[in-house]
Amino acid sequence: MTDSAVPVVLIVEDEPDVAETYNLWLADDYEVRIAGDGDEGLDRLDEEVDVVLLDRMMPGLSGDEVLERIRERELNCRVAMVTAVEPDFDILEMGFDAYLSKPIRSAELIETVEKLLERSTYDRLLQEYYALVEKQATLETAKSGAELAESDKYARLQSRVADLQEELSQTMGGVEDDTDFITAIQQISGSEDS
Amino acid sequence: MYDLASVLKTEAVSNVRPGTSILIAGPAMTGKESLAIEILAEGSRNGDGALVVSTGDSAENIVEDYRDRVAGVSNLQLGVVDCRAEGSNGSLADGDTPPGLHVHKVSSPGDLTGIGIGITKCLEALHGAGAENGRMALVSLSTMLTYTDRETVFKFCHVLSSRLDAAGYVGVFTIDSGAHDDQTLQVIKQAFDGLVEIRDGESGREGRVMGLTDGPTDWTAL
Repeated sequence: MTDSAVPVVLIVEDEPDVAETYNLWLADDYEVRIAGDGDEGLDRLDEEVDVVLLDRMMPGLSGDEVLERIRERELNCRVAMVTAVEPDFDILEMGFDAYLSKPIRSAELIETVEKLLERSTYDRLLQEYYALVEKQATLETAKSGAELAESDKYARLQSRVADLQEELSQTMGGVEDDTDFITAIQQISGSEDS
Repeated sequence: MYDLASVLKTEAVSNVRPGTSILIAGPAMTGKESLAIEILAEGSRNGDGALVVSTGDSAENIVEDYRDRVAGVSNLQLGVVDCRAEGSNGSLADGDTPPGLHVHKVSSPGDLTGIGIGITKCLEALHGAGAENGRMALVSLSTMLTYTDRETVFKFCHVLSSRLDAAGYVGVFTIDSGAHDDQTLQVIKQAFDGLVEIRDGESGREGRVMGLTDGPTDWTAL
């Protein structure tokens, strides 16, 4: 996700009325793409998509199969699974980032999309933070305390580390609930493989 | 606030803010893990919940050792995430909850998602059992670093610290300072609010606290 562009949401839903309802709720704040089945969803998916709303039960490719292919393509999008029944949060182990159970209310849908975008921001900040911490550690291990005290570069780095630390704690209030916590860890473990 | 003064032998840590995470670093065989567990035990004696995440010891051993330490404490609330449960068949099973005890088993110290779920379930259970405050110990990061790279461990510590902050817990994590290069230690330290350094001094084990007060405390015998 780039900061300047409007976030893109892809709706994959086989019932046109339902898809259109989601579109009405989201179109003011997001660029919305609609796909009527799993194959079309995969066609309309590219690097620009930030969030996918994926119906689990569809004719043709199921939501689970679509998810698997999304993950194979190593795209950075977040996927919310839309289910008929409320699953246990263990289902997050399957690689979904959130779930919504039907019928979905507008406030709930908007909140989920916002949450998923915030999590992407958190992951990006954590990555930046780690890169700075590595740089800082490199200087700390290479130079003496006196050299560090005189180094402008080190001072600037330290203040950027502190700023990012603050920004991270403001994003998602750190890691507030269980789902945030588990998906944040999954994101970390997943990025190791790529 | 959490009082760690009696275990760490310095008044500097008599008022530790909920949500603080502390790294305990020192060479091998200096009793880092025992110190971490003792910080939890001190909490248990005051009614705090306790959560042990272990990469090296079985849930059965942890529970036995812990019960000995806090003998006489009524209404003990202990959660254990045993991360070496692959192929183990001890007397405690995953999800077991004898009174006051919450056990979760994870296949390997490299399964961070599994460890996260175990921690979540234990935190929920401890909270549900009425433990408003609590302390968590993760022993040890050195083992985790043999399964996972330092970037992943750093991020894991950061995310876990945020979760403990939300829960109002205090967290202690151990690392063997002799087992990793300087760069790794410097990076991992940055994921924590404070550092307890342990060394073998002339009169036995000594420790000092950094990051939680204005300057480092003096070395004191532990």
